[in-house]
Amino acid sequence: MESLTTILILLPFVSAILCYLVRIRIVRNVIILVSGGLLIICAFLLIPYCPFAFSPESLFGLKIHSLLQVGDFLLPLIFLYFGFKDKSFLVKLFSILQLFLIFLIDFFLLKEKSASSVFYCDNLSLMMILIISVVGSLIVFQAIPYMKNHEDHLHQSPSKQPGFFLIMLLFLGAMNGLVLSNDLMYVYFFFEVTTLCSFLLIRHDRTDLAIQNAVRALWMNSLGGVAFALALILIIIELKSTDMQLIILLPSPAGYFLVALSLICVASFVKSAQFPFQSWLLGAMVAPTPVSALLHSSTMVKIGVYLVLRFTPLLQNTFLGQCVALMGSFSFLAAAALAVGQSNGKKVLAYSTISNLGLIFACAGINTPEAFTAGVLLILFHALVKALLFLCVGTIEQHIDSRDIEDMRGIYAKIPLTALITVFGVIMMIMPPFGILLAKWMTIEAAAKNLYLIILLATGSALTVMYWARWAGTLMSDPFAGKFRPEKQPLLTWIDLGSLAICAGGLSVMVPWVYQRFFLNDMIHDYSPPYQMVNGILENGYGVFPVFPLSLIAILGFLVSIWFLWRASKARIAPSYLSGLETEEPGIFRGPMNQLVQAGARNYYLSSIFSESKLTVWINLGAGVLLTLLLGGTL
Amino acid sequence: MIQKATLLLAAIIVTPLLGGLLSGLDRILTARLQSRIGPPLLQPFYDVIKLLKKEKMVVNVWQAFCVNCYVAAASISVGLFVIQSDLLLILFIQAVGATFLVVGALSSTSPYSQVGAHRELLQILSYEPLLMLAIIGIYMETGSFKIEAVLSWHQPLLIRLPFLFLVLGYALLVKLRKSPVDLSTSHHAHQELVKGLTTDYSGPYLALIEVAHWYEMMLFLGFCMLFWATSWIGMLIVGAAIFLIEIIVDNTTARLNWRWMLSYAWGMGLTLSLINLIWLYARR
Amino acid sequence: MGLLKKFTSFSQKKSPWLLHFDCGSCNGCDIEVLASLTPVYDVERFGIIHVGNPKHADLMLVTGTVNYRNRKVLLNLYQQMPEPKIVVALGACGLSGGIFREAYNVVGGVDQVIPVTVYVPGCPPKPEAIIDGVVLALQKFNAR
Repeated sequence: MESLTTILILLPFVSAILCYLVRIRIVRNVIILVSGGLLIICAFLLIPYCPFAFSPESLFGLKIHSLLQVGDFLLPLIFLYFGFKDKSFLVKLFSILQLFLIFLIDFFLLKEKSASSVFYCDNLSLMMILIISVVGSLIVFQAIPYMKNHEDHLHQSPSKQPGFFLIMLLFLGAMNGLVLSNDLMYVYFFFEVTTLCSFLLIRHDRTDLAIQNAVRALWMNSLGGVAFALALILIIIELKSTDMQLIILLPSPAGYFLVALSLICVASFVKSAQFPFQSWLLGAMVAPTPVSALLHSSTMVKIGVYLVLRFTPLLQNTFLGQCVALMGSFSFLAAAALAVGQSNGKKVLAYSTISNLGLIFACAGINTPEAFTAGVLLILFHALVKALLFLCVGTIEQHIDSRDIEDMRGIYAKIPLTALITVFGVIMMIMPPFGILLAKWMTIEAAAKNLYLIILLATGSALTVMYWARWAGTLMSDPFAGKFRPEKQPLLTWIDLGSLAICAGGLSVMVPWVYQRFFLNDMIHDYSPPYQMVNGILENGYGVFPVFPLSLIAILGFLVSIWFLWRASKARIAPSYLSGLETEEPGIFRGPMNQLVQAGARNYYLSSIFSESKLTVWINLGAGVLLTLLLGGTL
Repeated sequence: MIQKATLLLAAIIVTPLLGGLLSGLDRILTARLQSRIGPPLLQPFYDVIKLLKKEKMVVNVWQAFCVNCYVAAASISVGLFVIQSDLLLILFIQAVGATFLVVGALSSTSPYSQVGAHRELLQILSYEPLLMLAIIGIYMETGSFKIEAVLSWHQPLLIRLPFLFLVLGYALLVKLRKSPVDLSTSHHAHQELVKGLTTDYSGPYLALIEVAHWYEMMLFLGFCMLFWATSWIGMLIVGAAIFLIEIIVDNTTARLNWRWMLSYAWGMGLTLSLINLIWLYARR
Repeated sequence: MGLLKKFTSFSQKKSPWLLHFDCGSCNGCDIEVLASLTPVYDVERFGIIHVGNPKHADLMLVTGTVNYRNRKVLLNLYQQMPEPKIVVALGACGLSGGIFREAYNVVGGVDQVIPVTVYVPGCPPKPEAIIDGVVLALQKFNAR
């Protein structure tokens, strides 16, 4: 089990360096495929060993602790370098602050090794490992054909792919390290590594916009890093230990400990791009789509929610916990409202990510076993489905050269199978019996006693349906259905999209058994499983969700609907109603003076109410007030 | 388990028959209010059978898929209601059907269909939070989301949840496609946006949409009837009363626009719900 | 099986949905058609619903002479109606072009463009005559 852990963390680092050094494309692709495959296998092999603790002393002869100290200093120096290169005052400020804080910690506060075990894995960490290894590897696989097209399209030479894959694989290793870490110093280190990776990947295309947005991501995430470092200082002073498993067992936090917790919450909000820190995530959408899929929806932004979920035992019955729940629900509603007014596909996905992360924060704040279960299920399913949707949008984008939903109108005519997979992804986001809706159901039932939360959740939920249904309909808006002929795509793309879709759908059906295997024990300290699982039906005292029967009915309904569709393909095809003025060409009618006119429609984006420019100011103000409440309440 | 499955199947088969009769009653009452005679009671059944026998004609094959999903979701939500499942779950499954109806309408490129679909999305936006809050109110009162808890509650819900009942009545108004919120495809005014949402559906598919509408009507009436679940007479009185009120409101108001609908639903509706929920919270 | 067939053809007669199209009429016939929807004549007694959409219609009521501009529209609408369908031509203009028959822009009657089942003469025909015509057309439903 030690070797598995070492492989999961270090193999990506090794492959990353190999990818950078070996400049032959075929060999690089093989390296990527092999390391991804190994990661997936190792992650699954780790399952029977959980829970376990692991404390390596040295790596290749060097003491791990010293390596960490070097890394802790190296990273802010790298940020400082970029601060000078890209002329950003805030980046310089925050990196100097971090250097100072790390200096304080490493030389004055940390006297001896304070964590009893460096790495600890319970079922929560195991879930994260599985997500990172499986979803992460699949995304990096899809990046192979995507980046080839991307560079051909932008005429970029010499190829920047070696550097790209170096950072992508490095990132996977850093994520694995973070979720396995028990020592907060290690968590901090990997936290900063992911900030660096995100920065480098956003500025990949080196356009002015990319550099600007990368700098914004860097200073905002560094702000999170500063908050985390301050929290570390307070924890070390107050508790004399950085061992997370020990810290969680402590009774009700107060004084400096509570302030440290709230700073960790702030760092999590920054990392997960909650309001008012959301602008870095939206700016990050200029990066190539695999970056958006990997970092900014499935894995990196999950760090924030993962940390807060880890600390839920400490948040019980505190004002801080209630504030976290309130901020989460507020983000859920606000991001959904902003997504309604958005027509850029990737920005809609970004707002949806922020919205779902807000929901997970709400779960952490509500802090009942039902809410915790909901939070973990949301992490799992959101990672899968959002990665699928981002990869689909990436594929569509490369076909039509645009990210706007209006340009994707009727794309079913050109790329039918991709359009169908995208619609399936959208369906998995909002409909029962799939996992995300199951988690939303659990959250609402858990939040039902809290009036503030429930109003926000109810309205946010309704807005969510609106922007997803609109998008799904637009993709299928086709004047005439000829024979279904799947389009040509690289084989790797089909394997990727197909496996993500099947994983997400299949896992949704299997949720009761996932619950039985992973949630009934060893999930996290102080968690008592809230639901009974009988015949695939999840039930507790006041709610019941028959997952498996509904899944069977859904599959049956799907098959019957396909039969209907097949019968309809034999039916007479009529033109869409255009008041009788239709001509032979679909969508073209005879207008005034006998001229031919193209009939068109555009989606409602309700920009008089929901436009980004109108709402963002007020939402940021509201979020700022809530944040002040959170921080002020702890002081 | 087998007992529940048979009950579910029976509900799915019997509900459209009841729904059709109620729909016919609706048309007769509306006609009488308008000093007309109106069609015979079984008229909706004649309509559906006639539509089923018409030629199959589609704008694109995706429409057939969406219609079937709509009808399936509507029937399953009614079935789940009858076997006394979880109210929140029933709401979500009903929403599946509504979403598929919208997606099917958006798949046709006719502008009437497109605008109708967007108006339908706005309608869903206006009633869904209200419905969820009504269910939350039921939870706060009975302590459970399951219908069996409501049915075994010692007093009618109407006493403690009056405002939530009004709010539910508003949601029913939107669902029954009656004035003033019949924006996407009106029930009695047959030519709003040339039949809006359902413009490009015809023949058997239109028949299925009508049947799904009956399922949804029965589901929402069932929700309303839960508010006096202590006696059969009470349930019938509540159901009949709300049905009559909906018809009268339909005939006395004009159709308004989506801004009014959204601001009224979220303004008045959320405020009333909040007042009722705060009262319940304070009484705990 | 025979019983089912009887019931379905009975339903077809009991639920005729109307599409009304004005092919250049002076609106006299159209006003009479709309009058028959009012409470005085109340055609909903027969299950008639005035739909605005050929895809929902069984019956098309056409008024007016047909002219060269709207004959394509008339044909489009007729083709978008699903089978079984019937056409009723109303008024003198609809029958043969009426008094406008000799005008240069007039095609001259609905049956020049689409097959007509029932002709209702009059200028304009009274609502009672229109209702009579529709009821006659319904009986022809099964004859087709």
